[in-house]
Amino acid sequence: MIGYLIAAPFLGLLFMGIHRKVIARIQGRPGPPIWQEILHTLKFSFKETWVPRTASKTLFIGIVFVAIAIWVGALCVVLLGGSLLLLFGIYMVQKMVEHGVGLSPGSPYAKFGGVRSVISASSEIPLFAVIGGIYFFTGSLMISDIIQYQADNGPLLFSLLPAAIAMYIVILSKMHYGPFSIVEAKEIVSGYKTEHFGAWRAGLEISDAIRTVVLLMAFVLLFWGALSPLLLIIAMLIILVSLSFVCAVTPMLNPYDSVTMQLVIIVILVAWMAILGLIA
Amino acid sequence: MFELASFNIGGHELFVLPFGDIVNYFTPYTAALFIFALIFTIICIISKPERQLETAFGTDAIYAKEVTGKDLRFRRFMAIACGIATMGAVTSGDIFNFTLFVSMVGICIIGIVASVKYKHVLNAAFNYGIISMLATIPLFGGAAITLAATGTLSIWELSAMAPAMPGIAKALILVGVMGEGIAPFYAAKAELFRAPGAPYVIMIHVSSLLMFLRVVEIMLAV
Repeated sequence: MIGYLIAAPFLGLLFMGIHRKVIARIQGRPGPPIWQEILHTLKFSFKETWVPRTASKTLFIGIVFVAIAIWVGALCVVLLGGSLLLLFGIYMVQKMVEHGVGLSPGSPYAKFGGVRSVISASSEIPLFAVIGGIYFFTGSLMISDIIQYQADNGPLLFSLLPAAIAMYIVILSKMHYGPFSIVEAKEIVSGYKTEHFGAWRAGLEISDAIRTVVLLMAFVLLFWGALSPLLLIIAMLIILVSLSFVCAVTPMLNPYDSVTMQLVIIVILVAWMAILGLIA
Repeated sequence: MFELASFNIGGHELFVLPFGDIVNYFTPYTAALFIFALIFTIICIISKPERQLETAFGTDAIYAKEVTGKDLRFRRFMAIACGIATMGAVTSGDIFNFTLFVSMVGICIIGIVASVKYKHVLNAAFNYGIISMLATIPLFGGAAITLAATGTLSIWELSAMAPAMPGIAKALILVGVMGEGIAPFYAAKAELFRAPGAPYVIMIHVSSLLMFLRVVEIMLAV
């Protein structure tokens, strides 16, 4: 367990580097080296760290620790086969973290990032479709039970494809440079992270890295089942590259289109799952 | 003696506190929600609000909004009350207590917003107030139908005989919780964010979010 907890930030940062590299190559650019995000985080760790004069100091600092803690907790939930509902609860608390990071400094750019994170709550709706679908099919929301169900009945990826697509969209909405990444759009500088520099930014990068690992790992475990560590990483990498491809070929939507698009997709997926439920 | 029937949703019970058939309990899921509420409440207690930067319309001037004196005390009080009500809602083992705590959260949300003396923010608080008041009808109606149909409001008992709760009662409670926690849905409007005081505004969203997460667990369990 401790090994996984230590490896997760590095693996996640490496994944984020690969994500940037794949996007760059698809767009015909050389792109940064794949370890760029690791270097980035190390650089931030040793840069001067400050708190803006207008900030709510406790919240500004405390929210960074909350961000790391929730994703470390989420990683433990996945590794121990805990409740899927708890994992998704943590995913939704991430929204509050983005909101807190954005509102705490008092800066308008960060504030707009925080506000966008709340209006992009539509990205959470697919979560309920995933939860409902999986619970209906497996009769349990414990990840260990879901893995066991797949060992007995085959991967849910095929029998519960709409839920898999819904979760894929959930992960896509949290990827950098994706079509739904409105909280970090360039027109608001770095979005909710704009004022967090130095060690605080390094903390947020580590939180993002663990989140990337947790979401990809959860996708594989929930829709394919248990795999050996090496195969698990390869499977996560395949999903990551597919996400990078989507991010590379789609423009970033404006907030209104992003919310509308996610709502339309989820309505289609819920209808599809309802039909599957009726057939079953 | 005590074994939660819906352990396959939020995990096995970690702690139980029975009062007759009303059994308050912690599962890993509800314990995590409780800890989230506690952390954000502590942040509200010890954190001073930020000074929001605004550009004066039609000029290049930038000014910082301040939250001072009575405003600060009242908003902090309401945020703490909101946090405590949220903690009650996530740990309650009884549908009626849950609906009461949810109503308290709704009132506190209005209080947090209404203490800001800007016209637009007060307008937003007025809107929340109307929605919250309307939402109490389906909320308590759902609880009443559950009691009439099953003879108990204990989540523990209901989960043991699931699916016992009528679908209409579930739908009404869900609508009620959505009404009480409607504030984040107003986020698309600017009013809420003209209100300075990040820790208190965040408590609005945290409490709404945690109520949603708890009601999803209850709906699946019963």
